[in-house]
Amino acid sequence: MTYAYLFKYIIIGDTGVGKSCLLLQFTDKRFQPVHDLTIGVEFGARMVNIDGKQIKLQIWDTAGQESFRSITRSYYRGAAGALLVYDITRRETFNHLTSWLEDARQHSSSNMVIMLIGNKSDLESRRDVKREEGEAFAREHGLIFMETSAKTACNVEEAFINTAKEIYRKIQQGLFDVHNEANGIKIGPQQCISTSVGSIASQRNSGDVESNSGCC
Amino acid sequence: MSSVPHRKTWRKSKKAVKVTRSYPTFPSLNAWEEFRGLLPVDGEPNPGVGLGVEEGLLCQMVHSAEFNLFPDSVVFESNFVQVKKGKNWIDIYKASNTMALGVTSSVPCLPLPNILLMARVKWHQGQSQTWNRPSTAPNIILKRILPLKFVELQVYDRLQRILRLRTVTEKIYYLRLHPDHPETVFHFWIRLVQILQKGLSITTKDPRILVTHCLVPKNTCSPSGDSKFVQKKLQASQPSESLMQLMAKGESEALSQIFADLHQHNQFSYKFSSRSSKKTETKKNISEKDTPREDGIPCTRDLSWRNSFTYGEWERENPSGPQPLSLLSTLAASTGLQLAPLVGNSI
Repeated sequence: MTYAYLFKYIIIGDTGVGKSCLLLQFTDKRFQPVHDLTIGVEFGARMVNIDGKQIKLQIWDTAGQESFRSITRSYYRGAAGALLVYDITRRETFNHLTSWLEDARQHSSSNMVIMLIGNKSDLESRRDVKREEGEAFAREHGLIFMETSAKTACNVEEAFINTAKEIYRKIQQGLFDVHNEANGIKIGPQQCISTSVGSIASQRNSGDVESNSGCC
Repeated sequence: MSSVPHRKTWRKSKKAVKVTRSYPTFPSLNAWEEFRGLLPVDGEPNPGVGLGVEEGLLCQMVHSAEFNLFPDSVVFESNFVQVKKGKNWIDIYKASNTMALGVTSSVPCLPLPNILLMARVKWHQGQSQTWNRPSTAPNIILKRILPLKFVELQVYDRLQRILRLRTVTEKIYYLRLHPDHPETVFHFWIRLVQILQKGLSITTKDPRILVTHCLVPKNTCSPSGDSKFVQKKLQASQPSESLMQLMAKGESEALSQIFADLHQHNQFSYKFSSRSSKKTETKKNISEKDTPREDGIPCTRDLSWRNSFTYGEWERENPSGPQPLSLLSTLAASTGLQLAPLVGNSI
């Protein structure tokens, strides 16, 4: 399928917070309850429609385990967006955010858009990190923030698409040099830009969803 | 240091792979003589391309602008059908769905590849599935990039041409070489498995060879050996350059920690067993234990087989970087060098 832009995303965060589940929910609309440790990189992709433009999200799902941390660092470069995920039921995953953020800042473009995600919002009874704490952390570090549930799909679309919107906004503001691949943005084949608008908006994999749907 | 003449590294070259006739041949490769007859001279087509193992769909995808990964490294690849073991081997997916499996090197100057690539390919009806450049491109989706150090590759059923791929996290895939591939291609994979286990005499993987220095400069690998060149490359805007360098740096660090972390992980109850006891496991037991699901088994217990890799002798000279596998030419050319007897069904 043709596209106007390709955005590279990276999903980072502690092991077991639901990074792969978020990806699976976003790309396949399903939930895999069995925890399957990721090694190396697993890829996912999906088209979204932002402001009438077809945008392909190329998503790199990384290993969260400390053992693979040094390898994960090698995937940051060239990412336009990052989903930094913690588990609202495990305080330690929230406590480690600073470390992940340091890695992300150090190894990626300074313009990279980072979406902080408090995942597993369906497990309200086991909540260990208040929503306000996530919001405060995001505010302090200049991140976008959402709570999601990969299990119920709550806010999953929004998390990916709002990140894309922010990247697209930065492109329009001239903050991203789309010709520099180090920024994680690639321009699609020329012919697709003219053909992508409009007609594809209704396709299954296109999603221009409303922000803050509020399901969580 | 080596009984073979100088070889090229795992660097992509527009020129065909050059293999001199002085190399011993692979005795059991019936097609090999014929293949050698096809050995290219400059300007002629690369036989690897003709066999569908070089410059194939996987290579084209990872080198495409969309990924731009390992752009200077060649990719050795083939198409496989994912199968599961029942009474007989059963295809997991429809015939139109295959898996492209390939190896490449994150750093092109390395003598051996260190990266495993996996992609799903959906073919159009009636389309030849080993075409390198089909008129209508199949739908190919890159699924995984795995450092080869985290993967164990076995020849599981030689007659059926089935490989068993097992990751450090115990995902297991049984992959049958696509029937459109000639037998020669499976012999390349057999050789690859052997090299992954034992290394080549030109690499420090071979414990019989005492190397007193690191063959690959730590993190500063460049074809010219010029560290300034590498530094310049690192600062360049190509994402894959940093990927190469950082992956090389990260792998051994990860290996040194992985087992402790994995075993400590309280969500899992890994059982430890010695490698020797592992070796005594019958294949029947393995197959019973390893019933693959859609993508294989997500998690099981015994990770001890990887300990031997962590402390393998071949790693000792290059603790901060990978000692990955070979280029196709090395695969081909070295087939007769230290050929262990081809092991029945499992290596």
